[in-house]
Amino acid sequence: MGEHWVGYIGNLQVHWDTLITMWVAMLFVIISSLLLTRKLSVIPGKAQAFAESMLKFFMGNLSSVKDGKKHIPIVASLFLFILVANLMGQLPLRLIHLKEGEFASPTNDINLTAALAVIVLIYYLYYGFKEKGIHAIWHGFSVSGIIMLFVELLEMITRPLSLAVRLFANILAGEILVMVMISMFAIALPIPFMLFEIFVAFLQAFVFMMLSVAYISTAVSEEH
Amino acid sequence: MEEVKTVSEMVYIGAGLAVGLAAMGAGIGLGIATKGFMEGAARQPELIENLQSKFILGAALAEACGIYGLLIALILSFK
Repeated sequence: MGEHWVGYIGNLQVHWDTLITMWVAMLFVIISSLLLTRKLSVIPGKAQAFAESMLKFFMGNLSSVKDGKKHIPIVASLFLFILVANLMGQLPLRLIHLKEGEFASPTNDINLTAALAVIVLIYYLYYGFKEKGIHAIWHGFSVSGIIMLFVELLEMITRPLSLAVRLFANILAGEILVMVMISMFAIALPIPFMLFEIFVAFLQAFVFMMLSVAYISTAVSEEH
Repeated sequence: MEEVKTVSEMVYIGAGLAVGLAAMGAGIGLGIATKGFMEGAARQPELIENLQSKFILGAALAEACGIYGLLIALILSFK
């Protein structure tokens, strides 16, 4: 738990287990998206209806954002990737024994969640500057404007930090909880906790997505 | 009862305090969030659908603060 299968490429340290499980999750998302959107027709089949209902869910979440449809790709891919990655921790993939580390959720590695958070940071900063120019962080030359400038600069650190640590800590704590329960009880009693972890997987993916939407929304909205 | 002297023993007290205090704050926050949700739902039951997703979001955010304490406790005790 919390240990990784460490390797080196040149001078760079690599967590192989995180890398492999991340690619499995990404391949799952890509292949299932391709399968679900094959043979589109006016009267949807089962797969297309499912894909459309998912798209509707993302559109509903982005409805309050200006030009919300433009941001569907990143929001949808963040949600689907994190959801699949979180759920992978409950799958029998971790029965494959490694010398160190294990094939659990890739989101139990803080490097991966930090990378996701930095993607969100760059994305909302880019759209903020594109929409409002320098006024995205500069609120005029006054005392409150200067204070707001420092608050905006501070938020560039605290927002990705809290996004990354929230997702990572929730998944890691869930895995530790399940491990403790398995070592305490013999049969059947850990199952409710595993089901709770499935709920947490959905919840954390949703929270990450909603916070990204909130950040994008504040970045592109008009000032009051 | 033995006296606790070394730093490596004191660390466990810190870990316990970290998780306990964090859980206290998260519990208060969750209680306030649930109270607000219940009051809103009782006053206007037609808004429950709308309130529910926001309540779950807020509850998850409050709970995450408790998880931060757990994280610190784990870092301290596994060091």
